[in-house]
Amino acid sequence: MKPGKLWRTTSGLVTLVALVFALVTVAIGAIAYEVTHEALEEQLDHRITTETAALLAEAHSGGLPAIGAAIRRREASRSTERLEYLLADDGGRIAAGTMRARLPSRAGFEELLEYRRSPGGSVRIAQALTTRVRGGTLVVGADRADLDAIDRRLLILFSGALAGMLLVGIAAAVLIGWMTRLRLEGIDATAQAIIGGDLSRRVPRDGSDSEFDRLAGTLNRMLDRIEGLMESLRQVSSDVAHDLRTPLTRLCSSLERAAGEADPAARADQIENARGQAAELLEIFTALLRIAEVEGFADRLPLHSLDLSALVEQMAESYRPDIEDSGRHLDTRIEPGLAVVGDRRLLSQAAANLLDNCLRHTPEGTAIMLRAKASPRGIVLSILDDGPGIPQEDRTRIFQRFARSERARSTPGHGLGLALVQAIVSAHGGHVLLEDGEGFHLRIELPPAS
Amino acid sequence: MRILIVEDDEETRGFIAKGLEQAGHSVAAGSDGREGLFLATGGGFDVLVVDRMLPWLDGLSLVKALRAAGDATPVLMLTAMGGISDRVDGLESGADDYLVKPFAFSELAARINALGRRPAARVETHQLIVGDIVLDLHRRTVERAGMRVTLQPREFALLAELMRNPRRVMTRTMLLERVWDFDFDPKTNIVDTHLSRLRSKLNAGFAEDAIETVRGAGYMMRGG
Repeated sequence: MKPGKLWRTTSGLVTLVALVFALVTVAIGAIAYEVTHEALEEQLDHRITTETAALLAEAHSGGLPAIGAAIRRREASRSTERLEYLLADDGGRIAAGTMRARLPSRAGFEELLEYRRSPGGSVRIAQALTTRVRGGTLVVGADRADLDAIDRRLLILFSGALAGMLLVGIAAAVLIGWMTRLRLEGIDATAQAIIGGDLSRRVPRDGSDSEFDRLAGTLNRMLDRIEGLMESLRQVSSDVAHDLRTPLTRLCSSLERAAGEADPAARADQIENARGQAAELLEIFTALLRIAEVEGFADRLPLHSLDLSALVEQMAESYRPDIEDSGRHLDTRIEPGLAVVGDRRLLSQAAANLLDNCLRHTPEGTAIMLRAKASPRGIVLSILDDGPGIPQEDRTRIFQRFARSERARSTPGHGLGLALVQAIVSAHGGHVLLEDGEGFHLRIELPPAS
Repeated sequence: MRILIVEDDEETRGFIAKGLEQAGHSVAAGSDGREGLFLATGGGFDVLVVDRMLPWLDGLSLVKALRAAGDATPVLMLTAMGGISDRVDGLESGADDYLVKPFAFSELAARINALGRRPAARVETHQLIVGDIVLDLHRRTVERAGMRVTLQPREFALLAELMRNPRRVMTRTMLLERVWDFDFDPKTNIVDTHLSRLRSKLNAGFAEDAIETVRGAGYMMRGG
């Protein structure tokens, strides 16, 4: 992995976020430290100023000795928040106070004044205010030990927080990276298995509806679709291999017989026979390709809103002469104005296939009924007849390619008509159902155009 | 007619050329897209027959290039691609008709005849007159020698299509495409049934059959 692409891995990203958080913590800590420190210093300054003012008030009445007396009183009381005092006369001799320090040369505040509490004692640091009084100098100081202690504690606190933050951040990076890898490994293993040839494998789901779980769901749906398409392709290949063998064999033998025929009239008959068989083969090919096309490209069909009532009416009108000439009856009950979104030619072809079926697989005198109506479940198109219907044992497979009931063996056809009807209806988002009953009763449900 | 065939398969090209020459046409042939475009831009052809998949320049691009250059010579596109959207693509490129392989020669010949010698601008008149038959597209009425003939809507559309192409063979597939808007061949021969009903209504009381059946090819409106 290139270092520049660190954020592309989950661990790297989490580490980066942790680092940013740590930096922000350092910045906030520095600001908080500075503000607290300044506030404490100001508080010390305030105490010193107030105390100096009180002592100067004493000087009004009694001069230097009065201040000295006041200092001694204060030092004797031993308050916990003690201040340090130094009163010196103009000669530099100490008049009062226990603070031992070099006398500041200028009046005013001094942040860091070194002093001792007794001669020979340890060096301490005070914040001090130096004031000139008549006949001497007054220094009032506050020991900075407490302030330094608070500063130190703040520093320790912030460093601790920072260290904790980094630790938790790194741990989180490792943990999240590990968990992500674990989840992706499941997907990866499935993908590897599928590359290996097992198309039935699916990404395991944990039902948590997390982003990984949802991704797994999407991948599985994609795999379902691919498997369906592969299955369809396999089906078509095997159908072609098995079901075209018979007509091809017939074609070959027709041509062979024609070649061996001496009589020109009989030969012409055989050739015409062969031509018919070739045309039949072509018809099967066309139907198979159309089914595969409709099944495979269902999402890409150009769809327009169209008047299904008019379309069905037109189909009924187109087939009525043939139905009536063949001694059957056609009855239509079509609600006007039923709109669907679809492909006009494909829907026409579906209707034509159904009407072709009824014409070819029913005895003379059969009544065929075509109905179209709106229902709560969508637009329902039904075609039914009072013919022999579909035998029980064939009902489940009539929509498969090349599925023909034993009874239909004697009639022309290849068993592709209903398979195409189902493919077309599915491509339009609808369903085809074979209803129970005496005759043939097919029910098509199509979603209405919104 | 002078016809140009652009087809890369030698056998198909020879079969089409021979058939058209026998039918009295003068035929030129090109075997790839570039040669085809070169020959076509030379002009002087009444109909172009162009295969969709050609070496160097495919049929769609060839037709687009011709149309972009302002050449309006009728084009019949031949193709092995019979998919739902292939036909639309073919017609959108500027081809006038689209025939899916394999086809019967009679189908090809009928389509070439229907394309050739078209009136320069097809002004849609509201009355079609062929011989003693008058069809009014606005009032949707048909009269033969002044006698009113009552037709069903499909029969009317069928007659109108035949009358738009008098003395030209219309195949069953052409009629299915133009009258029914089908791009498939139904198992039931609805064209023949409608035509026989149309014919019996049209010929009632007349000795001469207004519509001729051309064996193995289709139907043709007899001119008066």
